[in-house]
Amino acid sequence: MTDAVLRLRGITKTYRMGKDNIVQALRGTDLDVHPGEFVALMGPSGSGKSTMMNILGCLDVPDSGSYVLAGQNVGTLNDDQLAAIRNRHIGFVFQTFNLLPRLSALENVELPLIYGGDRHDRRDRAKRALQDVGLGERIAHKPTELSGGQQQRVAIARALLNDPSLILADEPTGNLDSRSSAEILAIFQRLNDAGKTVVMVTHEPDVAEHCKRIVRMRDGLVSGDEMVAEPRRAEAELRSAGSAASVDLHATAAAAR
Amino acid sequence: MKLLDSFRSALQSIVVNKLRSSLTMLGVIIGVAAVIAMVAVGNGASAQVQSTVLALGSNLVTVTPGAQTDAGLRGAGAQAQSLTLDDMKAIQDQLGPTIKAVEAEQTAGRWQIVAGTTNWNTNVVGVTEDYPTVRDWGLQSGDFFTESDLRLNAQVAILGSVTAENLFGDADPIGRTIQLRQAFGAGNARARIVNFRVVGLLEAKGSTFGFSRDDQILVPTTTAQRVLTGRTSVVNSIIVKAASSDEMANTTEDVRTVLLARHKITDPVSADFTVTNQNDTLAALGSITATFTILLAAIGGISLLVGGIGIMNIMLVSVNERTREIGIRKAVGARRRDILSQFLIEAIGLTGLGGILGILLGWGITEVVKRIPQAAGLLVIITPGTVIVAVGVSVAIGVIFGLYPAMRAARLHPIQALRYE
Repeated sequence: MTDAVLRLRGITKTYRMGKDNIVQALRGTDLDVHPGEFVALMGPSGSGKSTMMNILGCLDVPDSGSYVLAGQNVGTLNDDQLAAIRNRHIGFVFQTFNLLPRLSALENVELPLIYGGDRHDRRDRAKRALQDVGLGERIAHKPTELSGGQQQRVAIARALLNDPSLILADEPTGNLDSRSSAEILAIFQRLNDAGKTVVMVTHEPDVAEHCKRIVRMRDGLVSGDEMVAEPRRAEAELRSAGSAASVDLHATAAAAR
Repeated sequence: MKLLDSFRSALQSIVVNKLRSSLTMLGVIIGVAAVIAMVAVGNGASAQVQSTVLALGSNLVTVTPGAQTDAGLRGAGAQAQSLTLDDMKAIQDQLGPTIKAVEAEQTAGRWQIVAGTTNWNTNVVGVTEDYPTVRDWGLQSGDFFTESDLRLNAQVAILGSVTAENLFGDADPIGRTIQLRQAFGAGNARARIVNFRVVGLLEAKGSTFGFSRDDQILVPTTTAQRVLTGRTSVVNSIIVKAASSDEMANTTEDVRTVLLARHKITDPVSADFTVTNQNDTLAALGSITATFTILLAAIGGISLLVGGIGIMNIMLVSVNERTREIGIRKAVGARRRDILSQFLIEAIGLTGLGGILGILLGWGITEVVKRIPQAAGLLVIITPGTVIVAVGVSVAIGVIFGLYPAMRAARLHPIQALRYE
């Protein structure tokens, strides 16, 4: 099992909140994720899943333990090297979308390429990524002019732009209605079908059932790790609900291929 | 991150917060405008002083009687009678080829001048025939007196333009006779009366340090000595025009050597005359006006400093406000220097733009100043150097006052920045 996209061994992380309040968020956690997996990371609040997410996303470094991402030990890297890893290997999708309000959808999607070296074709690539998530017509819109579901699709397009090894989604459907949630999940499933590795933090069992594997956390340790025998298909659910969004999803599937 | 992207992002942020950006820029605009206007006034003043000095003639080396040092007891310069026409002739003979011209002057005091029914009171100065060359001062009409007029103590006079106008109005004064009168004796009981023939009319030259130079009468030095003052052979000053500005130091030395030899003085410290060089005068006055200009620039500089602090303040607010944006940018791979340059360029954009607008405002102020009647004659000069320095300084202020906020932004932890509400 040396071909893991990410491998965590004995990760610990302690936070000091205030003077005497020390929170041990992770207590020696192990986790392997292999290429093509679609993992749901579940757990009650305080279980350490947010900390886990931050470390997986190279936004934070563990106090101890090793984290190998795409063959590289990221525990020893400095801030700028971590930034480069985030830029090349990780695509983030957040609960609150985290788009820059002043930029258009296209400019938001371009962002990783601005920091990812000199790419003269970035405008075209960003346009294609937006078309892939079914927003080809709205490239000039500002985030405030888009619905929540549309904003999240812009965020997914942004996450995909540098062709990352890992897509990290932190409660991506947490701020969306059920229709939009299904659309977003369908996009993730299509991406996963096309070979993308996705790790998604969620506390909704409904959402987790769309993933291929569910990892449960409790008190800073992995407490359960199970494969989902037959993941629910968001696209099928949409179709049965008579969705008009299926056109978009086909476009996504085509692009992911 | 490419520079172009940084510029676009900076411009976007300046444009989005129009009111805030323009208020912030106002500090820099006023500062730069103040520096530009103040330095322009300072430059104008020094140019004015310079042109005033040069209006007395250029490349002049002046010899005046009296001690060069104040060691020991010396007579006052005006009373010393150590210079003569022969001294002037010696300079002419010995330095002739290396200098342009030399002349000697003897003032003859104030006289009442009568021409027909009008009269006027003015200064009479005795000068020698090379006066026009030495002083760069030509005649409007008539001819300057000659060496033979000097030899003969001829009673001929050259009128300043103001004097001529007061005595003759618009009529041509050449060839007319004027009478010089001076009362003397107890209770002004008696008067000396001398007739002069007007032979020339000087070009109008304007005033020097507030005194009109066009109200005077020039007569031959010998006439001033023997006919008007009775002080034979003594002169007030000998004025040498050097061949060029570069030659002035040499000429000064040469004149001193000639006169020391003539006066049989071996120790230059005990010389009975003083040689001053116009360059030294200009340099002395120049250092005064330079100090003046620096003072004015410093006043402007203080407002620029205040403007800079305004920039820093608003950049700190901006960084705070955009913490989340910084977090997002970091999450997608922005390095510290990307964030640093983004905010630094934004600050430089504010100050640079403010600098350019400030230059325009400063220029506008000088244009207004020029049109104020009370400031008539006040020179204001904006040099390209001032403009370059002003732009440079405002960009530097952007760097200096933008650096700390930009560093704060760059150092933000991505998670804390992303969580910031």
